[in-house]
Amino acid sequence: MYRYDEFDAEFVRQRVAQFRDQVGRRLTGELTEDEFKPLRLMNGVYLQLHAYMLRIAIPYGTLSSRQLRKLAHIARAYDRGTGHFTTRQNLQFNWPKLSDIPDILEELAEVEMHAIQTSGNCIRNVTADHFAGATADEVADPRPYAEIIRQWSSLHPEFSFLPRKFKVAVTASPRDRAAIQVHDIGLHLKRHADGSLRFAVYVGGGQGRTPILAKLIRDDLHEQDLLSYLEAILRVYNLHGRRDNIYKARIKILVHEIGADAFARQVEEEWQRIRGGALELPQVEIARIDAYFAPPAFERRPAKATLRAPDRAFDRWVTRNTHAHKQPGYAMVTISLKPIGGIPGDASADQMDAIADLAQQHSFDEIRVTHEQNLVLPHVRLADLWEVYRALKGIGLAEANAGLVTDIIACPGLDYCALANARSIPIAQRISERLAARQDAIGDLKIKISGCINACGHHHVGHIGILGVEKRGEEHYQLLLGGSGAEDAALAAITGPGFGPDGIVDAVEKVVETYLDLRSSAQEPFLAAYARLGAAPFKDAIYAAT
Amino acid sequence: MSKSAPHISVLTANRLDDGIVVFLDFEGAWNESLAEAVVARDPGEARALEDRGAYDAAHNLVVEPYLVEVREEAGRLIPIRTRERVRVSGPSILDDVPGYSPPLAAAAHPASGQLVEAA
Repeated sequence: MYRYDEFDAEFVRQRVAQFRDQVGRRLTGELTEDEFKPLRLMNGVYLQLHAYMLRIAIPYGTLSSRQLRKLAHIARAYDRGTGHFTTRQNLQFNWPKLSDIPDILEELAEVEMHAIQTSGNCIRNVTADHFAGATADEVADPRPYAEIIRQWSSLHPEFSFLPRKFKVAVTASPRDRAAIQVHDIGLHLKRHADGSLRFAVYVGGGQGRTPILAKLIRDDLHEQDLLSYLEAILRVYNLHGRRDNIYKARIKILVHEIGADAFARQVEEEWQRIRGGALELPQVEIARIDAYFAPPAFERRPAKATLRAPDRAFDRWVTRNTHAHKQPGYAMVTISLKPIGGIPGDASADQMDAIADLAQQHSFDEIRVTHEQNLVLPHVRLADLWEVYRALKGIGLAEANAGLVTDIIACPGLDYCALANARSIPIAQRISERLAARQDAIGDLKIKISGCINACGHHHVGHIGILGVEKRGEEHYQLLLGGSGAEDAALAAITGPGFGPDGIVDAVEKVVETYLDLRSSAQEPFLAAYARLGAAPFKDAIYAAT
Repeated sequence: MSKSAPHISVLTANRLDDGIVVFLDFEGAWNESLAEAVVARDPGEARALEDRGAYDAAHNLVVEPYLVEVREEAGRLIPIRTRERVRVSGPSILDDVPGYSPPLAAAAHPASGQLVEAA
């Protein structure tokens, strides 16, 4: 894992002291709310529906046991005993007092964490494939590049006041687990025919009010040119991105309006001007950062192991929640934060502590946060899986549902968020309860729920997406079908008229039952069946009785 | 406020120090209970509440004050919009969180589809 150097530590320490002073001046009235708001947002502090919310950055979703224990401690000492993992691999606390937040940030700094650039019109926390550095299907660990981007973008003087927020995601696998095509910049690291590593650069993707898939503007970017090329993209956006209309300010609108080719030409012109300058990444610097992410000291172990005593529930869990590791004898373990009927992405302080212990004992001290609101133990010996499973069962987190219909993404919605129009979490809970008994028969199926048009719950790229809206003061839900945030990225289409809180659960069930009835075999995935059948049979089913 | 609806309103905000939802009460204090809120029954009273909210915000007692439309039902105040009902009652989903106690309020609960009284 990356460790802070002296510069990082001093930078974060100074920022905490600065914010402590700002909070103090706000509480005494020296700063008005209008003056204070941009300052608190720069430090991840929102005022939400019920209270303040603190969003903590988890760079590229990588945590150590020590860091997770600190988050558990903060949940107990300053919040209400729970943390919420988000679709941007961050963690949110929903109940901190403003007066406590400087102390929280100081505690975070002790474990090399902060909340800087988790809000505001700047380059946000860089996300990455949650299996990075462990998965058998990647060409290299993408996290060193994510860390390089983090360092470049932290307090970047030119990009701290962009037209809108800016999100970057990185993967190095042909299977896109980072949803790169719905990010402002998506980077896909590939092995070129000559053996070098090069980036495919996607620009202008995003969800929200105007969902657009990113456009590929370069397929062969050398790693030493990464920062200069990103700087060129940001400069073109910063110059031409709209500041007059918040709904048209994201880079996706700029790319869409002038066209990807024209945008790429402007980037190319700027890049040629700055390429090879101070931003060129020397191999020695890439190697220095890369060393922080060196593989742990794996043992040489047989590729297969006798796992345990007979246990059907364990068999299901191994099938669903463990994944092929690049190192023989090891597996990646998804810890589902989606117990049936539970709150997607929530973990109690006790659960966080227990997971930190498991990571320390069984996963070289590492935990990953996924954009699907689960956690991962990236390096577990096959021989340890039974013990890990039993420990997870003991804390209520052994649900064998990774990728199944109950593994639902849901934003905080109207239960917490000041922007939301409708609740997301109770809908997720009820769908989970309704379909749990059939989830194995249904197979892989991604449901994603947002409580407003901002789409934090990724409803545009759900196989089944749900968007909460407000209709005459009441909660109402639109249903969307056919989206994907993976390598086959696609935007879901609205089926038709929306539903109330009860009706949307029934509608989802009808979609699932239609899929089960009409799929060509149990092996035909939902998206394949939807593509083959079209929307008509699903619409017929859900609107038949209305 | 809607011009045609006969709704009444209360003044709400978030407390500066901890961000908790509060309502201006009969005694001019900021109170966590909607039941204690002072009610504006005409535009003049509503404007007076807004003025008071702006004053208290300027004096750093509360943040982001605004009027909430409510109706009276069996002697109770119930916000018109779902958003405000959730804001009054707290998250509808925290029964299993250790130490969490939902505040006293009425709320539309999606699980039951009807108005329920929070404990």
